Amino acid sequence: MAWYRQFRNILRPSRLQRDLQKELAFHVSERAEELRQSGMSEADADRTAHLQFGNLTAQIERTRDMDIPQYLEAVLRNLRLAVRSLAKAPAFSLTVILTLALGIGANSAVFSAIDAVLLRPLPFPNGDALLLITQAQLKNSESSVAPVRLEDWNRLNSTLLGISGYYAQDSSELSGEMPEKMKCEYVAPRFLQVLGVAPELGRDFTTQEEHDGGPNAVLISDRLWRRRFSGAPDVLGKTLHFGKSSYPVIGVMPRSFQFPDREVDAWFPSAPDYTYARSRELTWFTAIGRLKPGVTLAQARDNLVTVQSNLARQFPKPDAEISPRVELLKESTVGSVKRSLWILFGSVSLLLLIACTNIAALLMSRATGRQHEIAVRFSLGATRISVVAQELAEVFVLALLGAVLGLLVATGASAAFRSLARDLPRIDEIALNWRIVAYCLVCAVATTLLSGLLPAMRSTRRSLSSSLASAGRSQVSGRNPLQLALVGAQVALAVTLLAGAGLLLRSFQQLGRVYPGFDPRHILTLHVATTWAETGDPAGGKQRLDRILDGLSTLPGVEAAASSAFLPGLPNEYQLELNTAEGRAETEPKMRGFARFVTPTYFATLGIPLLAGELCRDDPGRSLIVVNRSFANQYLHGAGAVGHTLLVQGNGYVPPGHISGIVGDARENGMDHEPPPTAYWCGNVLQPGTFFLVRTHGEPAAMTETVRRRIHEIEPMRSVYDITPLSDHISDAYAENRLRTILLACFAVTAVSLACVGLYGTLSYLVSLRRREVALRLALGALRNQVVGQFLAVGLRTAVLGCVAGLVLAAAFARPLSGMLFGVSPTDTVTIAGVLAIVLVVSAAASLIPAVRAARVEPMQALREE
Amino acid sequence: MGDKKNDILQGTLVLLVLRTLASNKRMHGYAITARIHQVSEELLRVEEGSLYPALHRMEQEGWIKAEWGKTEKNREARFYSLSALGRKRLQQEEESWRRLTEGVARVIRYA
Repeated sequence: MAWYRQFRNILRPSRLQRDLQKELAFHVSERAEELRQSGMSEADADRTAHLQFGNLTAQIERTRDMDIPQYLEAVLRNLRLAVRSLAKAPAFSLTVILTLALGIGANSAVFSAIDAVLLRPLPFPNGDALLLITQAQLKNSESSVAPVRLEDWNRLNSTLLGISGYYAQDSSELSGEMPEKMKCEYVAPRFLQVLGVAPELGRDFTTQEEHDGGPNAVLISDRLWRRRFSGAPDVLGKTLHFGKSSYPVIGVMPRSFQFPDREVDAWFPSAPDYTYARSRELTWFTAIGRLKPGVTLAQARDNLVTVQSNLARQFPKPDAEISPRVELLKESTVGSVKRSLWILFGSVSLLLLIACTNIAALLMSRATGRQHEIAVRFSLGATRISVVAQELAEVFVLALLGAVLGLLVATGASAAFRSLARDLPRIDEIALNWRIVAYCLVCAVATTLLSGLLPAMRSTRRSLSSSLASAGRSQVSGRNPLQLALVGAQVALAVTLLAGAGLLLRSFQQLGRVYPGFDPRHILTLHVATTWAETGDPAGGKQRLDRILDGLSTLPGVEAAASSAFLPGLPNEYQLELNTAEGRAETEPKMRGFARFVTPTYFATLGIPLLAGELCRDDPGRSLIVVNRSFANQYLHGAGAVGHTLLVQGNGYVPPGHISGIVGDARENGMDHEPPPTAYWCGNVLQPGTFFLVRTHGEPAAMTETVRRRIHEIEPMRSVYDITPLSDHISDAYAENRLRTILLACFAVTAVSLACVGLYGTLSYLVSLRRREVALRLALGALRNQVVGQFLAVGLRTAVLGCVAGLVLAAAFARPLSGMLFGVSPTDTVTIAGVLAIVLVVSAAASLIPAVRAARVEPMQALREE
Repeated sequence: MGDKKNDILQGTLVLLVLRTLASNKRMHGYAITARIHQVSEELLRVEEGSLYPALHRMEQEGWIKAEWGKTEKNREARFYSLSALGRKRLQQEEESWRRLTEGVARVIRYA
């Protein structure tokens, strides 16, 4: 523990000094006292005691050395000295601190996002052991799992602690005056065990409650508990009302439990022995599992494949066509943003590197001014290490202050992050914590070494300092290639960032120019709450749907109304493998298309034109479909498609359909995707998640209340929710894209400004260094434009070399970026030309100011100065 | 530096201080010198110049504890007392001292 006490002493040196003084003085006075008692005179006694003790100050110092470790004291002395010398150069210090605050702040902000989203496990006990399990059927991308198969997998596997599942349904809670929409999750048995979470209040579902016909029960979220029950502890046993039934609350989940998303209000058991749950064809669960300790993902996958192949022998239809797919739940949650985040991290790291380079150049300029001081220290016997340590201490003090400010920047930035990108996965887990603070400190140390070491080593070269002793007046010009190289490096890094940002911006611009094949403006989308149970009565559901659509389309200000299972213009995973009724030759390509389920009014509402045949009607006898042009051209020889009947392979839900017409191609799967082959099934039913689409004359958002009131008149027991213009949905889908672009553009602009400041600063410094030389030349008859041209050339040469290096770097950087580009190649000439133009113009401006200033030197004045 | 014949052999100071503190509850620096001087029948005299650095080093090592207190004459002084760690250290020091003297004695007698 000696170091701790020593450390404490170092923090309060004056107190230590006082104590030592007192202790030793006491000793001397005791001695004197004793001498007096033995008969010596008072003056003699004092003198003898002091003589015997020796030099008090020296004794104090010797004792003090025992209390304070030398190296710590040296560090502290260096820091004190650093603070003092920095206080004398406030402009320099402030520049460095602000530059670093920006660099470290941006870096830490992005790191905090990476930490929360990618690095930390999901917020469940041992969250890295959680899996997402899906079933693939033939080539169809089917993601949900049949309840009965989920139970089989759970029973027969040997690598998982358990498998459970869930599906969502928005329901109307009827306790209040108006029906309130609640987001409900229906969960398979073992749901909470698999996730490893227990209710905060109350209990999990009992086995009885998980049986069909068992007692009703509901677990509620912390959010609902606070909203509806004001967080009252006696909530257990109170009831929620859905349809004709009431459900007693049996537990409240912890606030941190937001699964599958933060919107969930309540969890209900979904009985595995429910009639429809026994079908091997009907799939509805999103399945999750938990690995047994020590089991790898690959082992679990192999095990489930084996289990499924056994099931395939037992139930050849349909299990032989089904294969399980397993991935880490975390991967599936955050996989989409992974690349974006790493790209951003790369960009801010480049930015920090530019900041470091900038500071290194500044330090070098400063060091030249201090060569005299350094020479003096060397001549007084300082070692090179101690001088370097002193210089690094200065940079470290600045870096530390920069990091503290940077932490503030990071906190602000992560708050902005959260509000800008609400839909990113795990975004609300971003928070300031000790890991971010530690990261900032690491950044401070790294920047100290990166920016401080080179200048410190250079300025302490013995030969340099001795040669300087003889320099002085007679020196004319010095070459500073290293400083200019550093500036060039900054320009290169800035070009890299700007090129990346430029490509993303161009992609965005291209995206806006695409004609989507339908008109997304003036469309209001909304949901009307319904339950899966109601889908058991298709005729009733159909009537209800028609009644709502009639009610909506007759509203003044509404042109048309339709419903669809999926939002137009947003990615849809529902891809089916199809075949014609007469069959297709083996040689023909497999017929695969995206399925969309719509009402006949869909095409009029969205403005998708009919190209051939006729639009589908609701035909109770058979289901009619309309295919888009891509589908017809690709699989059915264009116009000949009308009249064919399509069969769906391996999907129990979708009936065969008769093609009645062909419509125009629309970018149904997103603006950045070519229109895929699509088949529209006519005759949508009302089911959870169904979208109503209303085309309005004017601003769609203005119709919100009118539409809500109309539906309430028609369906007083159902809540209406998520009333949002379609254009908002589409733009939300690009939120991540946009955020990434905005951030990268911000970083790039910062980088360019930093590089310009670097160029300006270094050139100004060179000018000041060569002031007398310029004055002499002017006095001897040099023209002022020659002087301007000379310095401008230095600046531009540096910028051009930087640009060339930057283009090489940008080419390397473009590779990870290429998957994010749309309609632009990574080597887009327009972008590159733009970037070069911007950088060269700006650096010319930055060099012009010092160059002109050099030419304005008054020869006589400058020469007389010294 | 004057006459060194009563000076304490390098390295034995720690032993002497620890031993002195072991049989007295708490003492200030002057009392420790006086005690050693008296018990050794004036054979040993502790140099002030080495006593205080030694005391402070031993304190840092955790062998002795220090606190401010009043003497019987009501003057403020820094009192030292032995810690548990110091007691252990004392045993080691005594053991090595015993071995040293025994060894030296044998050399004197038989060499």
